[in-house]
Amino acid sequence: MDDSTRQQIEGAVRSNDVVLFMKGTPQAPRCGFSATVAGILDELVGEYKTVDVLADGKVREGIKEYSDWPTIPQLYVKGEFVGGCDLVREMYESGELHEALGLSIEPAPAPKVMVSAPAAEALAEALAEAKSQEPNTAHYIRIEIDGDFQHALSLSPKQPRDIEVPLGPLTLLLDRASARRAEGLSIGYVQGPEGSAFKLENPNEPPRVKSIDVKTLKSLMLQDPKLELLDVRSEDERNQAKIEGSKLLDRDTQKHILGLDKSTPLYFHCHHGQRSQQAAAFFLSHGFQNVHNVSGGIDAWSLEVDPKVPRY
Amino acid sequence: MTPSTSLQIRQSITESLPGAEVVVTAGSPGHVSISVSAEEFRDKTKLACQRLVYKAIAPLLSGERPLVHAVDRLETRAP
Repeated sequence: MDDSTRQQIEGAVRSNDVVLFMKGTPQAPRCGFSATVAGILDELVGEYKTVDVLADGKVREGIKEYSDWPTIPQLYVKGEFVGGCDLVREMYESGELHEALGLSIEPAPAPKVMVSAPAAEALAEALAEAKSQEPNTAHYIRIEIDGDFQHALSLSPKQPRDIEVPLGPLTLLLDRASARRAEGLSIGYVQGPEGSAFKLENPNEPPRVKSIDVKTLKSLMLQDPKLELLDVRSEDERNQAKIEGSKLLDRDTQKHILGLDKSTPLYFHCHHGQRSQQAAAFFLSHGFQNVHNVSGGIDAWSLEVDPKVPRY
Repeated sequence: MTPSTSLQIRQSITESLPGAEVVVTAGSPGHVSISVSAEEFRDKTKLACQRLVYKAIAPLLSGERPLVHAVDRLETRAP
């Protein structure tokens, strides 16, 4: 980078509290990541300086070298490099960005969380055990919910900006981003084949393809002979082996299924569970809310349910 | 994105951060999401962790026709 470019960048960083190096302008961003960061800054600070890197190739390359950061956008606050889109978004969600910008954070509302009696008991037990192992640390139950609605339940000390949800004698902690995704969350405790486990159900979670094992599928088929089990394999494969009660997903069947009520439970299988995952995702994208992929496919069926179905 | 792109990303990261566990997910063309778990991240800020990863893959992101246009999500954690 030449001296004048460096001076130009340094000048912008030094003489403005908040500087965003972006593609385009906040009014006409030329890249989704730049638009995201500009949108966050629009919400948090009225005025900020932006530098459109597309307007000057030297600045575009220079800022990458200056920050030692290979992507655009880049945010500087009070002369310090904050990060790119990913980090800015995360800091915005956690409240760290408000802090860096010297803004007060409005207290986030505590979400409503339900906990079943067995779950509360199991959590209390886990807390008691943590206390006996580390008597000097105050442990709390923490739930983290990431952007993909993956839930993590753990015991941990309190962090600044945590949101507390009282659950009877227990206290649940959530970071701000998780709290926003937790309204209506319920915590259960269920007995499964491999022991007991917590079961978190979140009404905010977008529908996704659920996985079902062949034994559970078999018992469902016995309860409901009209269950929609769709075979996404080729006709050739189907001639070699098939699950009784399944339908080949050909054009006509597909048309018929797409016309069904969107709450109809659908089950998809193939040979091992890969192709059917894609088919299931297709129907999910068409608005079906109760879509299942048979894990292990017909091969698992032969092994675990019906050995008379030949393996191939 | 071809499988070799994710492979190159993974290789570049594990060369800089030996022992790291790397998961690369392809998004729209040229876009990837990367999740890295590495001992080097312990007790470092998110910015410092992301720097380590970006440093490792910088060559793949630069040039006239970069292999990777954008990293949609970069997750870093210590194992």
